[in-house]
Amino acid sequence: MSIIEMNKVTFGYEQQPVLKSLSLSVETNSFWAVVGPNGAGKSTFLNLLCGQLKPDEGKVHVDGKPASSYSSQQLARILSMVRQEFVPVFGFSVRQTVMMARFYRRTSALFENADDIKAVDAALAATDTAAFADRPLGHLSGGERQRVFIARALAQETPVLLLDEPTSHLDLKHQIRIFDLLKQMQQEQGKTILLVTHDLNMAAQYCDRALLLGAGGAFFQGLPEQVLESGQIQSIFGVQGHQGQLQQRKFFIPLGRFSMDRPEKPA
Amino acid sequence: MRNLKFQISNLGFVGWAVPTLILCAILSGCTKKPESAASSAGSAQTNKQMRIISLAPNLTEILFALGMDDEIVGVTKYSTFPPQAKTKTNVGTFWQPDIEAMLALSPTLMINLWFDQQAAVVSRMERAGCKVLTLRIETVEQLHEAILKMGQAVGKESAAEAMGQRLKDKQNEVTQKHADAGNRPKVLWVIERYPLRVAGRNTFINELIEMAGGVNAIGPTQIQYPPINSEEVIGSMPDVIIEPVMDSEQFDRQQSSAAEFYSRYEIVPAVRNGRIHIIDGDLVSRLGPRLDEGVELIAACLWQDEPKP
Amino acid sequence: MILTSKKLILRCGLAGLLLIVVMVACLMIGSRNQLSTGEYLSFFKALHGPEIDGLPNVHYEIFFRSRFPRIVLAAIVGAALACSGVVFQAILRNPLADPYILGVSSGAGLGSIIAVMLGWTWTFWGLSALTAASFIGAMGTVWLVWNIGKVTGRVHVTGLLLAGVVVNALFSAVIMFLSSIATASKFQTTMLWLMGNFAELDQISPLVASGIIVLLGIVFLMLLGNQLNILSFGRQDARTLGVPIERTCFLAFGCAALITSVAVSLSGLVGFVGLVVPHAVRLVAGPDHRQLIPLSAIIGAAFLVLADAVARVVVAPAMLPVGVVTAMVGGPFFLILLIRYTKTVHWGNA
Repeated sequence: MSIIEMNKVTFGYEQQPVLKSLSLSVETNSFWAVVGPNGAGKSTFLNLLCGQLKPDEGKVHVDGKPASSYSSQQLARILSMVRQEFVPVFGFSVRQTVMMARFYRRTSALFENADDIKAVDAALAATDTAAFADRPLGHLSGGERQRVFIARALAQETPVLLLDEPTSHLDLKHQIRIFDLLKQMQQEQGKTILLVTHDLNMAAQYCDRALLLGAGGAFFQGLPEQVLESGQIQSIFGVQGHQGQLQQRKFFIPLGRFSMDRPEKPA
Repeated sequence: MRNLKFQISNLGFVGWAVPTLILCAILSGCTKKPESAASSAGSAQTNKQMRIISLAPNLTEILFALGMDDEIVGVTKYSTFPPQAKTKTNVGTFWQPDIEAMLALSPTLMINLWFDQQAAVVSRMERAGCKVLTLRIETVEQLHEAILKMGQAVGKESAAEAMGQRLKDKQNEVTQKHADAGNRPKVLWVIERYPLRVAGRNTFINELIEMAGGVNAIGPTQIQYPPINSEEVIGSMPDVIIEPVMDSEQFDRQQSSAAEFYSRYEIVPAVRNGRIHIIDGDLVSRLGPRLDEGVELIAACLWQDEPKP
Repeated sequence: MILTSKKLILRCGLAGLLLIVVMVACLMIGSRNQLSTGEYLSFFKALHGPEIDGLPNVHYEIFFRSRFPRIVLAAIVGAALACSGVVFQAILRNPLADPYILGVSSGAGLGSIIAVMLGWTWTFWGLSALTAASFIGAMGTVWLVWNIGKVTGRVHVTGLLLAGVVVNALFSAVIMFLSSIATASKFQTTMLWLMGNFAELDQISPLVASGIIVLLGIVFLMLLGNQLNILSFGRQDARTLGVPIERTCFLAFGCAALITSVAVSLSGLVGFVGLVVPHAVRLVAGPDHRQLIPLSAIIGAAFLVLADAVARVVVAPAMLPVGVVTAMVGGPFFLILLIRYTKTVHWGNA
């Protein structure tokens, strides 16, 4: 049963197609990785999913209905999103920011209830952000802020999570923690996760599906080992690299002119 | 938006600077004629070639009263008295004099009121060979001095002296008549309704009020024409309210709406006793030869016993 | 840092108490006497009612017909301006926004100058022509800006800001033109209004009506507090967090514009209240709009009541326009706030 369906979706900015005739089907309780070079349309893809953008051609369906037909409130029940960039204008604290995720649940109440407080505390603990819960967002490092936004998506308690490069600023410990957390949520809570990332190897380790977007609308989707195959990566990303295998999971290391251990040029 | 005032004074600068620049070239032609008037500092002849421009309404009135009807060639827009003044060429307004028009009249003498913004106009006219007489008329005393100076400048010293004496006699007459009245009525001189603005103690209007035997209802202020709030109106308890109106069309409107407007102050004696006088502003808003009529009008308002409707 | 209804009521109650103290103190201040014992005696005499010993009671007139309505008016205007300042800052995600940024000021100014130039003196239900014309001008301009600013049919913050700037510039040009051709006295009337000068009301009804409208507006905006919190994070976040952007913006914008128009029509353009008070309250109470809105309203009211007292007294018996006092106090105050603010909150990538 698929919770998200894209049918021959084409989208572009000013006659340049970013996505061309993209079709895919996201099953419930799957963990997708969305990878690709800069400008390939990864963020655009996510924005189409939450109805922020309308496709030029084709259809995007979330839970059976067109994505853009959802009102904000209905959409907030189904999916939560962690965005890439954020610039805080006013000095909201971490706790206040995460608490905003609970808004859609109350239609008339002005104040939070005990459930909300519990959910927020749990989310803060899971992302290791409880220590600075009362500090304003502007006082945190980029990585700490990213964890706060992940906590916010968790506190929203939706069946689908969309994450746009959530670990780009995180250190190794927190990267692993977040991936572990997401995997746990997939397995224990049945969540569906779509994650845009630059880290091909983490994606290969944790995800059970992959979508590789290339320039001009090219795309490949399927199992990680099929999509994240060395030859494909090298042609889409335009880099050369070394493919290895660790316990059945393949990994890819890109190599440049001045890297050590350059293998022979492929034929 | 908040720089409005600043921007407006800038506009005025642009407004006269441009025609001034244009006329720089024409100046060379103007230097021949005014030579005869250049030496008129002390000469007492009535020079038929005297061409006078007056840059303020009260100056125009004084000139006409001195018998200079023919010599006046240019006046400002609001110089409406006497009626002959309206036939003279319009040279702009007091705030925005039209230099082009002024130079085109080839004046020999320009009379204006002392005012910072007009300094450049003055120097421009002087360079064109025109004599300039700048007067300061902010008090009654200064009015008398100005009349004499103007008389000298146009060669009508005796007429000027006579005018001055007549005015002084009339002033004294009115003052004497009411000098021994017990209570001097408190006067609130309303020059504007929205917001309520009155004439303060450091204005010539105050002098006229005191000449007529009254006293200003409000205390000393730094601002000449301060806006005041209702507490001040009530607290000062004026006996008479005088409201001068400039426009004759406005006159009827102000008259008919007066009762309703002042009804909110019905606790003060002026409103309670119906002593609200809407008067013709022309007589009392300029210091000029009709000063005596102005003072009489004010005295009539203060000392009449019948309340006006 | 969890906001509960109890905390909110307590804080609003304290602020409200402060406001009452300020209002009573300013009732004792006037252009004739200030806070002297004689004044307290006068106050007691005033309490006797409109007549004392059969004669009209001057003290009653001064305290209850002159000072009290003015203090209430100052409170209403201050509350409206501070509250709408908060809302505009949230919607436009711009800490430098004030209630006038989207055309209210120039629209109201144009309405009022037209009324002055045409010499309208009719009154409508206790309101002068000036008041009515500036209200219509303000609301009309806001409607114009709203429609111009909707880029591709959707509400777009940058579009709104640009439309506001353009409309302000255009209307200011017209106002300047009209001012330049106005006679001296009409010009002064306009200038005073543009500086922020309280209207004299001779009936209670406009005061009551505007008080009710502003109070209802503030409560309504407070109830939108959660949405405003989320809106200040941007439209993308708003959509995925369940805030209906179009509807919320329209409601908040419309309500804030309404109470601002009411305030401006009664008092002219009083500056700095809508800019400084939200910042000051935010520094003390935090950015949560559920409490920022009511607290700013109350503190804004107190601020303007005080400013008005200063305006009535400092050059007595003359009267300063209130806008002059708020600008002279607000300017340096804003500078201090700015310095402290950049230390507590990061602006963008600064």
